[in-house]
Amino acid sequence: MDAKRSKLTFSLILIVGVLTVCPVVMLVIGSFSEGLTAFGSFTLQKYVEAYTDPALAEIILNTVIFVLGSSTLATVLALFLSYLNNRTDIPCKFMFRIISIIPMMIPHILFSVSWALLLNPSNGLINLVLKQAFFLDHAPLNIYSLWGMILVEGLLDLPIAYLIIAPAMASFDVALEESSKVCGASPLRTLFRVTLPVLRPAILAAFILGVVRSLASFAVPSVIGMPGRVYVLATHLYQMIATGFSVDYGKAAAIGMSVLAASVTLILVYRALTSESEKYVTISSRGYRPTVIPLKGARIPLFAVVALLSFVLIVLPVVVLFYTSLVPYSMVPSARAFSLMSWKHWIEVLRDPISLLSLKNSLMLGLGGATLGVILSVFVAYTIVKVRTRAAGILESLSFLSFSFPGIVIGMGFMWFFVRTPLYATIWALLIGYIATYLPYGIRPLASAFIQVHSHLEESSLVCGASRMTTMRRIIIPLLVPGMVSGWILMATMFVRELTLSVVLSRPGTEVLAVQILRFAEDGLWGRLSALGIMMIFISTILVILANLVGARFKPMEGGG
Amino acid sequence: MKRLVVVIAILLCSVLSAQAAELDPAKAKAEGTATFYANITAVEPIMEGFEADTGVKGAYTRISTSKFIATVLTEFEAGKLMADVVQAPLPVLEILKSKGVLASYSSPAAAGYADWTRKDDAIQLFGIEYVGLIYNKELVKAADVPKRYEDLADPKWKDKIVMANPANHATTISWLVGLKETVFASEEEWMSFLKGLAANKPMFVASFGPTPAPVESGEKLIAISMPKYIITKAPAPLDWARVEQPLLGTPRAIAVTSKAPHPNAARLFVDYWLSEKAMGILAKDVGEYVLAPGVYPPIDGMDKATVMPIRDLSDEEIRKWGDQFKAIFDVQ
Repeated sequence: MDAKRSKLTFSLILIVGVLTVCPVVMLVIGSFSEGLTAFGSFTLQKYVEAYTDPALAEIILNTVIFVLGSSTLATVLALFLSYLNNRTDIPCKFMFRIISIIPMMIPHILFSVSWALLLNPSNGLINLVLKQAFFLDHAPLNIYSLWGMILVEGLLDLPIAYLIIAPAMASFDVALEESSKVCGASPLRTLFRVTLPVLRPAILAAFILGVVRSLASFAVPSVIGMPGRVYVLATHLYQMIATGFSVDYGKAAAIGMSVLAASVTLILVYRALTSESEKYVTISSRGYRPTVIPLKGARIPLFAVVALLSFVLIVLPVVVLFYTSLVPYSMVPSARAFSLMSWKHWIEVLRDPISLLSLKNSLMLGLGGATLGVILSVFVAYTIVKVRTRAAGILESLSFLSFSFPGIVIGMGFMWFFVRTPLYATIWALLIGYIATYLPYGIRPLASAFIQVHSHLEESSLVCGASRMTTMRRIIIPLLVPGMVSGWILMATMFVRELTLSVVLSRPGTEVLAVQILRFAEDGLWGRLSALGIMMIFISTILVILANLVGARFKPMEGGG
Repeated sequence: MKRLVVVIAILLCSVLSAQAAELDPAKAKAEGTATFYANITAVEPIMEGFEADTGVKGAYTRISTSKFIATVLTEFEAGKLMADVVQAPLPVLEILKSKGVLASYSSPAAAGYADWTRKDDAIQLFGIEYVGLIYNKELVKAADVPKRYEDLADPKWKDKIVMANPANHATTISWLVGLKETVFASEEEWMSFLKGLAANKPMFVASFGPTPAPVESGEKLIAISMPKYIITKAPAPLDWARVEQPLLGTPRAIAVTSKAPHPNAARLFVDYWLSEKAMGILAKDVGEYVLAPGVYPPIDGMDKATVMPIRDLSDEEIRKWGDQFKAIFDVQ
């Protein structure tokens, strides 16, 4: 490794380390300390209590099923949608691209509640329709179950998987597929023998990010799992820390350490599986342009399938949210419900100064935070993919550190850390905390994009006398635009609806949307909650469209021949 | 000589502390803001009223009960406690008092309150987080509405009840224990009620907040919840079961912090909070059960109900009972 690369790697380890290690160190100290704050005399008691619970085995089994099920669902759906959107001539591509990332913009608690309204066994709308249509006595579906949790979490993780797989799919070199076809392989064989294996890093990245995310997820296990008495690690943690008034986050951190260990192991597995990165390079010195595969007779049926899928899985819950924002209280749709509809909740939200301040703060954090986050991610992804030394491995693991912790715990780690700095209770603490926690959202799509860019391009530029910065700016970054756009969208939409850190770091003047939404949720004000949620989706949609437009401007630079 | 210096120092300190305890509205105005950490919800109308009436801004930060102690103690230990005034369930403030977070303050606005509401020199009780049975009045016939808590154990309520998780929700645990200690005649009766309720397979949610929605929409018919939702969720078809027994709840408490950044504004805020005007807003707009004499939430029949505070349960007791309810209600 040359000196410049080494300097870059160590500078990044320092930056990312400070961002992610500090709160985790505070949690480690807290898990070994007596008392309720981070510092106290040493004890192992919290670990003993946390790991001797007899219910733990069943909870771990539920967690494994939930996590693997939802990540598989998210990855398979993302693969299907991104293949159709990027590689085929399916109609209405732009619309589907937006639809597949809509769950990203909806607060998870709202998305889960919408699905409970649709599929609860008492009066869930879909169940009512099915009961009437098939003359059934009992509701055929029950969302309050493990499969219900997998469905909803899978849909919530779909955008993450989509935004990682889609850029890799978009920059796929068609020559590989053409060679396969020339050799007589059928399109399906080509898909399974050439396309999917080449996309392995992106698919694995999407799957692993899904696993890590669903391990830390709390909204789905609490809104859907708890009423069905299906407990996973997140709700077990909640139960452990929420019993009594003096909540011990150190004990929660003790359990969180196993989640962290599982996440770090997954990252190592991922690195091992993608260690021969040269295999996945598809953009080399030649020009490339992904070709569009004509679906011919399958075009309309596949369009119908995607449209139906999008409608049932994504549009319907959003429609339920919009409906909830218009009715005076939680009501099953009926003539009476429609007659009582009004904009009352919307007006109340728009007249509420804290809601307006939250909108402003969240928009600022989304725009500024995502931009800074993507800039940092470009350098980190470059180091992880192209340098690939032991130090780069450390950097990759560091980038996942605070992200891997269960959400209800990491927020406390950040508070224990920031309270010792002048940044406490400022908007900057939120900004730094967001970037530190959600760094993998920026790094993953960029890393899978970097993997596909051959180092010959970089070397040619250097040989011709360009500096590393010029090479990065003129050669690498333009090729990475789809990855950067994906990373920016993931981070911006995540920051607009971030709750976990915000709820402990937000103070008067630094309120953000998700905290305001949580206030409405705790008051049971679903109408206002839905109205503000729709505003949040609207803001995120605008950000997504803007990012896509900016990305499209750089498009000509991708093509070559 | 040494003794004289000590006596003078003590006298000086007591004069200074007496002065500090006296409220100066001009100083409060100069301080500009009173920062209020609370777990109570929907208090914005009081914050607005406080600013309009006193010229001092009320800044409200909502901190859930589960994060209250960890947040306040972390800030306090780091010398960065931003709260001038804290409000939470009584056991939370008692823990904070034991850690030196609370200051002595006896508000003149609490003069008319019952003696038992003045917990000590720092903590003043102003309300009860009252728990009751709320039901969907369009779907439950008048004859079926429970008249006693025992009626919830009737098999006709199978799969029709929603409640906060009795294995970990502190107020629900305290409420169930409170029923044993103050409502049921014997432990056997109480246990048979618990087993009957558990056999009806209630749906569990994380706290009281999500309990009314399934009742409003008709997904469930009855909730162990808070009658205040009848006000905050109007015009939802909610009513409360006027049981013959008393309603129980955890006392809500308020106090000034010992290192309040705005000590005068803090006391001004507590005075305002405990005033009949502010308590009237809390009862009328939010449906809270307050302890200001003669002030009741506008819920039909609530002025005649007996509402009692639950005995303070220590965290050890809550965990112990939580474990027992976990087994009875078959929570994993």
